[in-house]
Amino acid sequence: MALGELVQYVVTGLLVGGVYALMSIGLALIFGVMRVVNFAQGDFMMLGMYLTYFLAVGYGVDPLLGALVAIPPFFVLGLVVHRVLLVRVTGGGDPQRLMDAQLILTLGLSLIITNATTMILTPMPRGIRAAYATQAFAVGPVLLNQARSYAFLMALLLAGAVYAFLTRTDLGKALRAAADEPEAAGYQGIDVRAMHGLAFGVGIALVAAAGGLLATYHPIEPTVAVNFIVLMFVAVVLGGLGSIPGAFAGGLLIGLVQSLTLLVLPFQLQNVGVFIAFLLVLYFRPQGLFGQRLRAV
Amino acid sequence: MKAAGTHPRRGIQALAIALAVLIAAPTLLAPAVARAEDLKITLVAPLSGRWARQGQLKKMGAEMAIAEINGAGGIKALAGGKIVLREADAGDSVEKAVSAAQRALSREKISVGIGSWLSSFTLGVTEVAERLQVPWFTLSYADNITERGFKYTFQSSPVSSLQAEQALDLILDLARRNNQQIKKAALVGDNTAAIVFFFKPLREKLLKAKGIEIVVDEVWTPPLADATAIIQKLRSTQPDIVFYGATNFPDSIQVLQKVKEFGLKTPIMGVGAWLVTPEYVKTVGKELLDNVMSVTAAHPLKGQEDLVKRFTQRTGEPFMTQDPLVTYAHVWIIKEVAELAKSTDPKALRDAVTKLDLRSGPAASALTPGRIRFDERGRRVGATPIIVQWQGGEPFTVVPAELATRKPVWHGGK
Repeated sequence: MALGELVQYVVTGLLVGGVYALMSIGLALIFGVMRVVNFAQGDFMMLGMYLTYFLAVGYGVDPLLGALVAIPPFFVLGLVVHRVLLVRVTGGGDPQRLMDAQLILTLGLSLIITNATTMILTPMPRGIRAAYATQAFAVGPVLLNQARSYAFLMALLLAGAVYAFLTRTDLGKALRAAADEPEAAGYQGIDVRAMHGLAFGVGIALVAAAGGLLATYHPIEPTVAVNFIVLMFVAVVLGGLGSIPGAFAGGLLIGLVQSLTLLVLPFQLQNVGVFIAFLLVLYFRPQGLFGQRLRAV
Repeated sequence: MKAAGTHPRRGIQALAIALAVLIAAPTLLAPAVARAEDLKITLVAPLSGRWARQGQLKKMGAEMAIAEINGAGGIKALAGGKIVLREADAGDSVEKAVSAAQRALSREKISVGIGSWLSSFTLGVTEVAERLQVPWFTLSYADNITERGFKYTFQSSPVSSLQAEQALDLILDLARRNNQQIKKAALVGDNTAAIVFFFKPLREKLLKAKGIEIVVDEVWTPPLADATAIIQKLRSTQPDIVFYGATNFPDSIQVLQKVKEFGLKTPIMGVGAWLVTPEYVKTVGKELLDNVMSVTAAHPLKGQEDLVKRFTQRTGEPFMTQDPLVTYAHVWIIKEVAELAKSTDPKALRDAVTKLDLRSGPAASALTPGRIRFDERGRRVGATPIIVQWQGGEPFTVVPAELATRKPVWHGGK
């Protein structure tokens, strides 16, 4: 195999992985702070895709800008969903019962969002005809799809902004404190419930933005989430449950493994490579790439 | 006195007879004005999940035929009984499709079934129909749908292997007439049943027999994560023709976008009607689709302009494709079968299907070669595929020539 071809596989994998990474950090943030496994995460991504689509078709908003525009309304939507629904199944009580209730709630939410979208917007697939979706930057023999390159850069920027927010701002530090030790955070005057709402809002806004970026080259339909939700969970677990840098690295790794798997395995087994890598990481580092090993008390 | 005494008695007798006749009249006349019996049919098709659009199109075709039949007085042999549609969602997996069929057929008396678009679904659904002895019409292509000795399954489409054979002959002929030679071919598609059965004979014998080398053979399980690697292989091997089977819309869009991105000019021959739906134009634009061809079981033919007009006016769709067209034909076939059977009993209807030989009417004219007759395996006799080609943002029938609405155009050089 020529070196150029190998580089093409690596670059393609990284570009695909960039958007997986952005999708996954929202999920990781929600899990990290609230300990909620959000099965509806992919459905909020789908709604973000639709919003970007309608902005593009109705108002001529470029989908890359549309992805950013989607952030504030989805942040508010996340706050509302937390306030109305999730607050009832988080924040104290029997952990096992809470976990059951959370799973049922987010799974139910996922089903309702998917089916309501199917009813209202019909199952007809839609797509944004962005010119850059079918154009490429040529770097020697390697072609970089323009839509994926832009989406990758935007994903990097957004992930960087989230990281800076969590590490450089008081609010971000309060969020991390609420994630690491909710009880002690409460003693310090941090409103843990408000932090949960903030985490959910930011998590939903991030996945909606990822959906907007995805919409630049991927068709939109009510069931699009099923193609990505498993990969999101794999990325989050691979990186270390709740770790934001871990989820980002996990997303990139999935894209890379999916692409490089094709060098040795047929297309039908593309995701086999991902799950083999997943099992290997969990075997050698059960806490994930960036996770911390829990100490038994 | 005597005479006078008998008169009232006679009057009472006459009155009693008259009353008895009046009371008995409805019973005596009953056979002549039998109560109309409705014919309940079910459409098991994906109405949610990744193939929901196709199910929706099928439903449009069924509803249009039912409106026409019922509007014209229903089924005469059933005293004007109407056709009643019960739809069931096959979802996005074989398990869901089978479960939907099971529920639809056991909840109430269903006389005939239609479905379930994807061959993999139809294989499961027809097992339920066979067990419950309900005749089932399908447009699915896979050969093995009618290779299992089932008595209640009727396949109106030409099977995949036949489509592969005829599509290959057509493409070779078309290339020859454009002074092009086909020496290298690529097989690119997912592993759903219809595509598997289309590729199998090409891979095993047909291409070899014509001296054509397979340079790319890539099959995936939907959804496709990224199409770059496939297109890269096509770019490096430069086949003369790509046989293409991506039934999942997002997968197909990814491949077509990459074709444009990598500047590939190889002619594309799709396998199935999924490639000729209106949303393709909206998503990738007509320029990208121009000259792309697809083998399908049916597509509007010359002389069906009025039918297409009625369909587009009724549904708002820009054009009619295989899915609504064949489902429309299926409902009309069911109507004719009920006229023949004079019954709503599934077994009687199944026997009537085996005796059916339609040469005219809406059903016969919708499907080539204009005749509806099923052989002992349940395959439609003489079923031939249609080649459709995108031209100027609309798919047109280009083969068979005598029923074509446009002439085929060769894609051009590499």
